[in-house]
Amino acid sequence: MKKFHLRDIFASGNFGLFVAALVLFAVLSIFSDSFLTSYNMYTIGRTLSLYAFIGLSQALVLVVGDMNLSVGAIGGLATITAGYLIDIRHIPGWLAVAVALLVGIACGVFNGLIITKFGINAFIVTLATSFIFTGINYGFTQGFSFVNIPESFTLLGKGQIFGIPSLFIFLIFCLIILFLFFRFSIAGRRLLAVGENSEAAKFSGVNVDKIKLLSHILSGFIAGLAGVLYISRMGTSSPVTGQDWLIISFAVAIIGGTGLSGGSLTAFGLLIGAIIMVMIKNGLVMLQTNVYWEQSFLGLLILVAVGIDRIRTVYNQKRLLS
Amino acid sequence: MLTISNISKSFPGVRALDDVSVDFKNGEIHALLGENGAGKSTLMKIIGGVYKPDTGKMFFDEKELVLNSYIDALSKEISMVNQELQVLPSFSVAENIMLDKMITFRKTPILNWKEINLVAKKYLDMVDLDVPPTKLIGELSVAQKQMIEIAKSLASKSKILLLDEPTSAISETEAEKLFDILRDLKKKGIIILFVTHKLEEVFKICDKVTVLRDGRKIDTKMINEVEKQDLVKMMIGREEKIESFRNKNIDKSILTMEVKNIVKYKKCEDVSFKLYKGEVLGFYGLVGSGRTELARLIIGEDKKQSGDVLINGKKIKIRSIADGLYKYRIGYVTENRKEEGLLLNSTILNNIGITIWPKIAGRIFRFINGQKERKHAKKMVQQLDIKATSINQLVQKLSGGNQQKVSIAKWLGADCDIIIFDEPTIGVDIGAKEYIHKLIFDLANVQGKSIILISSDMPEIIKLANRIYVFRDKKIIGEIEEVNKDEDSYNIVSKELGNYYT
Repeated sequence: MKKFHLRDIFASGNFGLFVAALVLFAVLSIFSDSFLTSYNMYTIGRTLSLYAFIGLSQALVLVVGDMNLSVGAIGGLATITAGYLIDIRHIPGWLAVAVALLVGIACGVFNGLIITKFGINAFIVTLATSFIFTGINYGFTQGFSFVNIPESFTLLGKGQIFGIPSLFIFLIFCLIILFLFFRFSIAGRRLLAVGENSEAAKFSGVNVDKIKLLSHILSGFIAGLAGVLYISRMGTSSPVTGQDWLIISFAVAIIGGTGLSGGSLTAFGLLIGAIIMVMIKNGLVMLQTNVYWEQSFLGLLILVAVGIDRIRTVYNQKRLLS
Repeated sequence: MLTISNISKSFPGVRALDDVSVDFKNGEIHALLGENGAGKSTLMKIIGGVYKPDTGKMFFDEKELVLNSYIDALSKEISMVNQELQVLPSFSVAENIMLDKMITFRKTPILNWKEINLVAKKYLDMVDLDVPPTKLIGELSVAQKQMIEIAKSLASKSKILLLDEPTSAISETEAEKLFDILRDLKKKGIIILFVTHKLEEVFKICDKVTVLRDGRKIDTKMINEVEKQDLVKMMIGREEKIESFRNKNIDKSILTMEVKNIVKYKKCEDVSFKLYKGEVLGFYGLVGSGRTELARLIIGEDKKQSGDVLINGKKIKIRSIADGLYKYRIGYVTENRKEEGLLLNSTILNNIGITIWPKIAGRIFRFINGQKERKHAKKMVQQLDIKATSINQLVQKLSGGNQQKVSIAKWLGADCDIIIFDEPTIGVDIGAKEYIHKLIFDLANVQGKSIILISSDMPEIIKLANRIYVFRDKKIIGEIEEVNKDEDSYNIVSKELGNYYT
């Protein structure tokens, strides 16, 4: 095993992120009385967990150099699937969740197959499917929510263990699995290899189409999972779930250091990305800024994150050439 | 007069040009000769403003010439016709020719198409190309596109014209037409640099010839002072000692791979060959002669239209490189290691490990045994004498030779029975080259692997191969059944190859 050095943390992009998160935390603590309260921290803990999953579903395709504009639509579809099955069909919660996750996976398969089999770029395919999925969602629900969700279903989303939101603990558990997956599994390593250079990966005996398909399936699965978690968090299943995910997903993933060109993804980065994202959203509220401006802030944030990513890439290239 | 003096240029891991000085006089057609990787294209690109030299200066008519870019060179009336065609397929012929000098109605930004097409037609007539200026470039043949490129450079009225293998894609009649044009330009006092692999052309139209080898200038001669053999000798460096690599006799009863009548439109015209166990089979030919295309059809990277591949006598279907590797143990060391061979931003560990992951992963979760992976990588690094600080070093920080060794290690480690080496020593230093030669020899002669060696480096292929197929125009045009390794037979073989070469 490679020895763990403190300087590795400093050298990696994650350290800068960590500092940025700390600075943001300090600023918000100083300028807002209500930021550093236990209630607010608790809320932040829950929301950031959801954001991290949303970011992860995007990061899983960004890592192979694709993108998925339908994460929100898939999440919405999974949400109403579970809601419908529980509320109307009275199916046991675990089964409803399983079906909802399968819907997420199916959407991922659909995206992935079109992208790899027909060679159409992911941007346009997932743009189209995001409308298809959303249309199915609205057509099916006619815009109504499913509200009869049993108390037990919200245990994960609303509960806590020793004052820590259970949702956050679940997130940490999933991030550890993610870390292990990318570090040690064949599939994880191949995802990274394809993202870094798909030609070289292909010429090293990696079936690139299969790996891209896998990345879209995983993305759909995680989007579906996030959709189900939303029900657990909110206590209702609303068809509008997922509408605001697109920008969140990109912001969290990119701030978290998942390069747009692929090949890099870290569990720790995603976590910090989600923390920064939620603090900014939360902070804007705390600092009593006009909520109508929020979208511009988020857009700007993505540009800054992409800009930093670009500067880092160029800097590294220059250092290598000299 | 254009003078280049003491020009050197290095790329990571390779010295492309080493202290080269040449004078090019006005009204002179000057040939640049050399094998692949000798530095011709690099020199052209420096004069054409694409690369900047590391050291050395250029002078044009006694004034120092500093070029910041290709555009800068164009504005100083230096134009380059590239080996790779730089045309815009969905634009019209006229647009391609006139792109940087579009004509508008007086003082307006509105394009005057009638005038543009008229002027373009003039240049088309000059190269004797009978196509309407309004036709889309994408509908033209490769040869016609090549002529368009030339017309384009005529239109830019340059004082220095750089031609990088302009005849490689055109017919003899078209080449003749081009030569007429060049003779015309010569009379106007234009300096013409001409890179070619066809020696006859050098004698036909060039006044002077400069031979490069391994980035160094060997000599500049007036064309009437030299014979063809002299040039070949200068190019391939006959004095280079041919090591006594004596291949074992091949047991022709064990046929490892047989390829029958592979056909693929524009890439491969009915090619058949046999590969025996323990044999190094040479594929000799120029770039674009169909060797790499054939290799890619065999390994499943490209789909063939017809024909069969037999491994150990059994007809098989290889669907992808992964298929070839894991089912039939065929490896392919690509000629293009930076784009296809290596994950440059990854560690040596990752690059060497990638082909063996499935072998060292657990049953259920398919988690890779990190300890085994590291042990394997360390073993390969040691075995191939890869110079690196550790297996965690990024591959892009290695020299060209060591990068190539990593690219090879990947396939060796996967325990392939058949390995195709595509230009394995391109852009590597002499030391690494020797090492790779020894390695290829041992693989076949000691370990009994079957090797296909694709190379356009004549000494290399003669040194290593048991048999050689010669490729030209997507076909096998000749076979050298037995390559003797005596000094004399080297001459015979090189003459035989040389016959195809010219």
